This record gives sequence, structure tokens and C-alpha cells, in this order.
Amino acid sequence: MSLLRLEEVHTFIEQFHILEGVSIDVPEGDIVALLGRNGAGKTTTLKTILGLTPARSGSVFYDGNNITGRRSFDIAAMGIGFVPEHRAIFSDLSVEENLLIAERERGDFAAKEDFIFGLFPDLKRLIRLPGTNLSGGQQQMLAVARALVPNNRLLLIDEPSEGLAPVLIEQMMEAIRRLSSESTVLLVEQNFIVASRLAQHFVIIEEGRSIMSGAMKDLVDDDETIKRYLGAGTGGAT
Amino acid sequence: MTTLTPTPQSWLRRRRGLLAMVALLIAFPFLVSIIVDGQGLGAVIANDQGNARFLQGLAIEIFILAIYALSYDLILGVTGLLSFGHAMFFAVGAYTFGIMLKTHEMQWVAALVVVLIAAILQAFLFGVVLVRVKGIAFALVTLGLASVFWIVIQSSDLQQWAGAEIGLQGVRAPVWFLDTTNERFAFYLVTMTLMILCYVLYLRIIDSPSGKVFHAIRENEDRALMLGYNTFWFKLLVLVIASVTASLGGVLHTMHQPIVTPNIAGLGFTVTALLIILIGGVGTITGALVGAAVYRLLQFYLDRWFGAASELLIGLAYVVLVLYLPYGIVGTWRAKAAKRKEGWERLRTLLSPGERPTS
Amino acid sequence: MTTDTKQPEKVSKQRQRADWLLENRARVSVLAALAFLFIVALAGLESKDWFPTIMQGLSVGALTFLVASGLSLIFGLMDVLSLAHGEIFMLGAYVGWTVYTRFDTTVDATVPLLLVIAPFTLMPLWQRMARWLRTLGRKWHFGIWILGLGVVYAAWYVIFAAGDADAIEGEVSGAGAGVTIIVSLLFVAAAYGLYRKWRSNDGSVESVKEAMSLTSWSLLALGGGAAITAMTKFPLVIWDAEDFAKSPSNFAVQVDLGTLAPLPADSFGWPALVAFVVLLLGGSLIALALSSLQTAIGDVAPLTRKHWTGFVAMVGLAIVLHLTKASLNEWVFGLSTTWRFFLAIAVATGLGFAVGAFIEVVLIRPLYDRPIYQLMITLGVGFILIELVREVWGRPEFTMARPAAFNGTGEGCPGQGLGGFFSGCSTVEVFGGRLRVYNEGFVVLVGALVLIGVTLLLKKTRIGMVIRAGVQDPEMVEALGINVRRVFTLVFAMGSGLAALGGVLAAPSIGLSSGMGATFLLGAIVALAIGGLTSFPGAAAGALLVGLLQQIIIRFGQTGINLPFLDEPFKPSPTVVPAAAILLMVVILLVLPSGLLGRSER
Repeated sequence: MSLLRLEEVHTFIEQFHILEGVSIDVPEGDIVALLGRNGAGKTTTLKTILGLTPARSGSVFYDGNNITGRRSFDIAAMGIGFVPEHRAIFSDLSVEENLLIAERERGDFAAKEDFIFGLFPDLKRLIRLPGTNLSGGQQQMLAVARALVPNNRLLLIDEPSEGLAPVLIEQMMEAIRRLSSESTVLLVEQNFIVASRLAQHFVIIEEGRSIMSGAMKDLVDDDETIKRYLGAGTGGAT
Repeated sequence: MTTLTPTPQSWLRRRRGLLAMVALLIAFPFLVSIIVDGQGLGAVIANDQGNARFLQGLAIEIFILAIYALSYDLILGVTGLLSFGHAMFFAVGAYTFGIMLKTHEMQWVAALVVVLIAAILQAFLFGVVLVRVKGIAFALVTLGLASVFWIVIQSSDLQQWAGAEIGLQGVRAPVWFLDTTNERFAFYLVTMTLMILCYVLYLRIIDSPSGKVFHAIRENEDRALMLGYNTFWFKLLVLVIASVTASLGGVLHTMHQPIVTPNIAGLGFTVTALLIILIGGVGTITGALVGAAVYRLLQFYLDRWFGAASELLIGLAYVVLVLYLPYGIVGTWRAKAAKRKEGWERLRTLLSPGERPTS
Repeated sequence: MTTDTKQPEKVSKQRQRADWLLENRARVSVLAALAFLFIVALAGLESKDWFPTIMQGLSVGALTFLVASGLSLIFGLMDVLSLAHGEIFMLGAYVGWTVYTRFDTTVDATVPLLLVIAPFTLMPLWQRMARWLRTLGRKWHFGIWILGLGVVYAAWYVIFAAGDADAIEGEVSGAGAGVTIIVSLLFVAAAYGLYRKWRSNDGSVESVKEAMSLTSWSLLALGGGAAITAMTKFPLVIWDAEDFAKSPSNFAVQVDLGTLAPLPADSFGWPALVAFVVLLLGGSLIALALSSLQTAIGDVAPLTRKHWTGFVAMVGLAIVLHLTKASLNEWVFGLSTTWRFFLAIAVATGLGFAVGAFIEVVLIRPLYDRPIYQLMITLGVGFILIELVREVWGRPEFTMARPAAFNGTGEGCPGQGLGGFFSGCSTVEVFGGRLRVYNEGFVVLVGALVLIGVTLLLKKTRIGMVIRAGVQDPEMVEALGINVRRVFTLVFAMGSGLAALGGVLAAPSIGLSSGMGATFLLGAIVALAIGGLTSFPGAAAGALLVGLLQQIIIRFGQTGINLPFLDEPFKPSPTVVPAAAILLMVVILLVLPSGLLGRSER
């Protein structure tokens, strides 16, 4: 049973046709990796699911409901967490406030506190600091932690390993693996090695179209496909 | 598309509409004189009282507003610089010319030279601001500069020159063709000619290579910069052109109005320019002329019917325009050009049964 | 680029400090220069002079701050520089003045207003109805459009006919008939346009959206028409047009002095019950129109007993007010002016809040993807508000008497020292200088309270947290499941409420005129630009700076400033004082494009 399903989604940003037919199926409980080159439309896909860049045609189903055309906050409140690229945390807010703002009901954070600090022990130490004072890796952890505060059934994570030092990538991968026991994850990842070690399924997007999908274990051995569609993506790993 | 060297003849042919407009405008006072007033053609030349004379006055105001709005359209509509101090460009021209004539008793040509210098100087002043600030901050600084000018011009410290709150009065026309009281028709022709000249000049500027850069600055300044254009000089050029044009409008205003009030330096007058180009269509140039005519006539008739409430109605009209007709009259007209052409074609085929629709 | 290399704590701290100084050297030097100038300026005065000057500066600063605070929050959150903000300040002053001096009129106006607003408590009902409207057939939509157009035409005709009657005879009536024909043709053309639209409405998402937009506006016209028609049946005694037209300024003086006796309210032209029902109907239609203007309606909350209670309470209040009008007026006019003043503050602030919410929902919201047009529309709204005030209150300038608590004279006055502020005297002597308790005491106090209150709201509450986050990245806040649009509306309403509060506070000290809004908007914009456009503390600091600078200049204007190249001391006239603050803004923006406390890049 799939938790999230996209059917032939087309999205425009102003007059530019960014997504020209994306279909994705995300089974509940698994990690699905969205792969593709820079500018293929991966981030736009995530934003379209959330309604931040609404789909012009096609449909998005979440948990059996058609959520196309709903307002973003409405969609998110159904239990979808978003970790944007470039660690978009609120730098004017303290670490604690960054977590508290994600609460959908009072006490969400208190209930998940131990789980979150278990994943990212560093954050506990930094709890009073303003967001500006965090390092890149800490910001990325905070961004992921923020998405964990409410009970989200689905997490959309955009480029979690981007710009992180190798040690931190390992830590982040570990965290994602552990949180996937609680939520389903749709992951955008440039680094193929990271993606292949985390995800059970993959979808390749090329020029705004989803052209290929399947089990990750099949893709790992398919060097030709990797080279053709992901190109430089394989090289940058540890 | 093949590029043809534009000969004067072909240029004129392309501007048939404009020529017809000019002819109509020249004929207009005579037509009014004959049809409405029942006077002869000579009445226009003789400057007799009547509707013809009155409507010429109204038309002169429209021409002046059009010159002023044209310059704002170049800054805001074409180049995308959000300046809230445009009224100052107009008022500097108006006041400088008036003070030079009245207090300093200058020759009118000399006074015009002073106005030209003042106009260029104030464009440089705004240009200096442009180096430092962009976007909303530029709007605020220009608003600030214009407000300072507005405050200073109506302060009692400058009473003897600018006439404080009442304004500048008693400026006498230096030559016969600028005399709106005694030679209305001549002045009418002068303002009209100047407006048409400005309009044609602006069209040419926009078609020129520099004009393309102005557009590029509005659309994406960073890209223009990356293409190797030093956008600052282009923006400064825009400011100078607009400032000189607006000051010319101001000079004509001083000649036409018995009193030059400080209102023409206030934010309200910048809003007038904004309103005019919104009505006409932002960035269309032609829209400034259409907008000026619509605005002034609307204002005149609303004032006549509703008195004090007319301003309220203009405000409401403005809000409705912003919400529902963002491209203005000319902009919308152009957007629908294709559809209209189709309609005409259909009408033609309907009217001439011999022809078969070609498609 | 981020690297996670860790440096020894001590070194990094020292370096941080050095970096900070280096980064902010322009900012620090500007602050130092300002401080130096102020000290030099004040050192030239005696203590009995400089203390009142500073306090007067604080007073003007506090009023400016009340306008600037809302402006800053709104600009920070939504990137809309609301140029209508000054006019909301002005509206607050006029409404406050009316409640204060003519409570009877306020009651007269409240009854119909309550009835129009009452249906808004049943929002879920209207939302559900709006959703149902969407499913209606094309014919129904077309019918509603034509009705709406008809109302607009009728309104135009009535007003035009009235206007034409006053016009100069003979000359215009011919033209008038011609214009009537032209305008009628225009309306026929509009009806034809609607017909075309109806034909092209093929049930696709886009066309339904367009059809709904037209339907909403027609409903708004219908509701507005009904409400305005019924409202004219409520006699608003102060605007007794005859009396007012005879001598507006005389009228204003009489009102100020309180010598103009309240007129007895006229009886209804038609049964009160009919007027009540029409008003409720008008309000319902307006509420329906507004909820159907929203492009997407999420889940509609169920209509609970709470909604109905609110509705019944408001209607009930309106009826009770209407029936007890006479005795209520008598009672309020018997109250001390202090209580009436606080009532005025509450009413004006509330109204400012409501007007702000209305402006945001109806006019700003449809334009979020066209920022320049938002700016333009606020300009238009400001223009309309000025004209509205001129229409309703006329053109004369009013003064407003200070409430009794700040207006004592006689024995024991002026009060001495800081305790004197509470003595009930109108003035007080502190450090040898004479201060006005209202201007330099109460206004400054309220300004400080608002500063503390808003700061606490921003720092300590969840909504404050959302606002601060939204200033930075509204899209991300939305992605967290928070309805940012609602926060926008709230902030816009709150900012407008604060501006209106500023207006009432300003009325007793500077009087009322239709130009007051523009003056304070300019001051607030200057304050905002000085402080850094999106920074709330910056707005406070900027407002203070503007106030102080203006008062110091005024002070020196009286004695004259010795400028190096002039033989006589330079005495600027009071009218040029605002120019000084603006010049300060220009200079500061040129040195620090992002203001004193603003971020350099967003």
C-alpha cells in the first residue's frame, strides 16, 4: 500500500515548464530516493507534493486522499515533514524555538525530545544558541530534527548530505536510517553512494520526467544507467 | 524578418496614426469653434472667449501631464526604477524657470539653459543615490529627497522667491508663443509639438540599443551586468533624459498656470504620474499619452459632477485599475491585438461575400 | 561554504569580536557620530531647556513609533510597505475624536455596523455556502452578475442625479443627459461582456475561478448596496448636513467646546425592523462574498454553538443599543472625560484592527505575486481614506480637549518632580523645565508600554515566534503546517490597530487634520529606513531618533544656529523641521544601505 502517489504531475514556475510528467510511488515504511542530475526537477517535485509550487495538472495522492490543489499548510498538517535543501532553518530563532515552532500540538516536542536528542546528541548542548551561530552540519541536523517534532508519517528530505564533511555524512545517514523506522522517507540525494546505502527504492528524474523506477539493489549493479542519468553524481562520495 | 533601412517615408508611413492624430489635434480648436461655439475660424486665432479657448486650455494641461508621465514611464515602466520622487523633477523645472524669469529677470533662453542645468544636476543627485541603494530603499531615498524639496519650497524662509504655501505667481510670459492668456492657440501648438517630439524621441530611444539595455535592467539587472553592460551609466542616462523631459513639462506648467503651487512637488503629484501610466499601461510609452488624456478628462468631469467626492471616486478607480486592469488601456489593447485582428478578418469576409476565407 | 574545523575557543572569540567591529565599522561610526552630535547639541542648552526638549522628542518619537512599529512588522513579514498606514493613523484620530466628543453619533453608527458585522461570526456557514456556489450552474452565476451590475448602475444613477441637480443649470444638464446615455451604454457593454464570460465558462478550473471572482464582486456590490441603503436610515446627528454646510469651521469650534447640543435623532423613514433585516442581509452577502473570494477553501470548521452565540450576542447588543440609545448617551455624557478618552482609545484601536484585516484580505492578498502593485494599492487605499475622512468629517481641522485626568489647573499646579505626573495637573515641573503631563508623560508611557508589549509578544509567545520565522522564510513556515496567510492578516490588522491607537493618542496633543497621516507616515518611513527596514528594534530606535532630532531642531530654531559661514544665526522656520529627519535618513541610507540595525543582506 503506497503512502504517497504522484500521477503524471506537471508543474510550472512562472512560464517555465519544470515538471513534465512525474509519477512516483512511495510505499509506506520504506525509503525512496529521487535521483537525477542538477536541475532535473527533484526539488520541484518535493515542493509540488507540499503544494509550495502547485501542480498545474496531474494528481498527488497521500494516504488515499487526493491532495492536489490544497494549501501547503493544510498538506503539511496531514503529517508530511519537509527538510529543505541549504538547511533552511530560522536563523533568528534559537535552536529550541526552531524545534518548538514545528509543533502542531502543544507538547509534541516534549514527547519526541528523547528520540530527537538520541539521534542528534549535539543539539541538546546547543539548545539555547541562536540559529546563526550553528555550523553547517549542526544546521542540517536541526533541519532534520525539526521535521521530526510532530508525528509525521512522511518525510521529504532534500539533499541531506550536501556540503557536509564525511564524518557528518555518516552521522546523518545513521540518523536517517533510524528515523525511517518511524516514518516513510522520500529522499532527494545527489550523492549516489549515500542514496544507494539508504534507500530501498529509486526513481530517476530527467528533464522534468520520471523515466525509471525500481528497487535500489537492481540499480546498484547497473553501471550504464548510473553513468547515463546520474553522471557526476557517483563520483563525489567518500 | 528582413531588416530594411528605414527611410523617412517608410517611417512616416508606419506612423500614419500619429500623423492623423496631429492633424486632428491641430484641427480640434477650429472644429470646436465652428460646431460648438458657432464662431468662425478666425475666433481661434483671435483668442476669443468660448469653448474652443477653454478646451484648448484643458488640452494643454493634458499635453503637459503627458510629457510628465512619459518621463515617469521611462523610469518606472521601461527601466523598472521605483522612484517616488518624480514630482521633484517636474517641480524643479517649474520653479527654476519661474524664479529665473521673475526674480532674476532673465532672457527666456538663458532661463531654459539654467533649467537644463538644474535638471541634469538633479538627475546626478538621484544617480549618486542609485550607486548605494536599490529597490525599496531607492524608493524611500527618492521619496525623502523629493519631500525635502517639497518642504523647503513651501517654507517661509524662501517666501521671496518661491512664494511659500501659496506658490509662485506673477510670472509673465517672456515671448508671444509662450503666452497662454493672449496667444492661446500658439501656446497650444507649442505644447502639442513638444509632446509629440518627446513621444517620438522616446519611441526611438526605446528602439535603440540603449533602450534594449533599459528593458534588460528591468527584467534582470544581474544578467545585464553579466553581459558586460555597466548598468549604472544606463540608469543615469535614463534619469537624465527623464529629468530633462519632466523639467520641460514643468516649464510649460509655469507658463500655463497663473500660480505654481507647491502641490506639484508633493507625493500626490508623483501618484498622479503613477496613476496616469497605470491607466495607460505601464511601460508602453503610448500609454502615458492615453492615460494623461483619460485621467485629466475623468478628473475634470468627475469634479464637475460630484464636486469634492470626485477625488474619492478617482481613488476607487485607481484601486480597481490596480486589481483588475494591471496592463492599462494600451497594454490590454496590445495583448488583445491578435484576437482583434481575427475579428476584423471575420468581419471582412462576412462583408465581402466574393472572397473566400483563406486559411 | 562551511567547514567544521574547530578553533580554540579563546582565539575564536577574540577574532569574532574583531570581525564584528570590522564588519560593523560603518554602523559603529555612524552611531558614534550621532551620539556626538546630540551631546554637542544638548550641551548648548541649559538643563531647564534640554530636559523638556528630550521629553518632547520622546513624545513625538512615541507617536512615530506607534505608526512605525506596525509598518516594520508588516514590511518584515510580507514585504509590503503599506503606504496607507499613515491614513489609518488619521482614521484612528478621527474615530477617537468622534467617540470622545460625540458619543451619541458613535452609538448611532455602532448599531448598523454591529448588524453588518454580526454575520461574520458565522464564517463556516458562508464558507460552506461559497463552496456550494461553485457547484451552481452557469445561469445562476450570470444572474448574480447582472444583479450586481444593476446595483452598481443604480448607485451611479442615484448619485449622478443628485450631483446633476446641484450643477449649474442649463449648461450641464444637456451634457448630463448625454453622459447618462454614454454611461448607460457602458453598462450595457459591461453586461454584454459578462454574457460573453458566461458563454466561455466551460466548467474548467480556470473558468470556474474567474466566474467565482465575478460572482464574489457582484455579491459584494449587492451586500454593500443593501447595507449602505439601510444605513442612511440611521440618523447620524453630527453630520447634520445643513448645519455643517453653513459654517464648517464654526461647527467644529462649537463641537470642540461642547456648546453644540446633541440633536434629537430623527425617526426612521421606514420601519426599524426592515432596516435591521436589510442590514443583516447586507452583512451576510458581504461575508459570503469575502469567503468566496478566497481561491481555495480548506476544511471548513463545523458550525458550533459558539458561532451562533456570537451572532445572537451581536444582534442582541445592536437591538439593546438601539432601544436604550437615549439613556446610554445621557449616561456616557455624564462620565468624566477620562473614561470617555479610554473608551475612544479602545474603539479606535479596535476599528483600526478591523480595517487592517479587511484591507489585507480584500486588497493585498490577491496581489502577493505582484509586489509593486501591492505598494500601489496601499497608496490608493491611503488616498481613499483621506477622501473618506474629508467626506465624512469635512475639511476643517479639529482640536480635541485633553481628558480631565491630564488637564487639572489651579491649586497645587503645576506638579513638582516626578510625582507631579500623577497629581492630575496639566503641567509638571521637573529639573526646572515645564512639561505637559499628557504629551510628555502619558503618550511616552503608552509608547513604552507598546514597545515592551510587542517585544514580549515577539519573543515569548508562539505567534511571535511564527512572526519572526515568517519574516525570514514564510514558505518554510507554511511547510511546517502553519497557515501563514492568517498570520499575515493578523499582523496587518495588529499593525493597523497600533497606528490607530497612535492616532487617538496624538489627537489631544497635535489636533486633527486630514494631512496628519501623511506627516506621520513620512516620519515612520524615515524611522524605518534609519533603523533597518525589517528590524523591529530598529523601528523603535529610528522613531526615537526622528522625534529627538525634530524637537532639537525646533528648539534651536528659536534661538538660532551659528553656522560657520553666516554672519547671523540661521533660524529655520518650523515648517522645514521634518526636512532635517529626512536628510538624516538619506545620509544614513547612503552610508548604511540597510539601516542602523538591519541585516546587510536578506
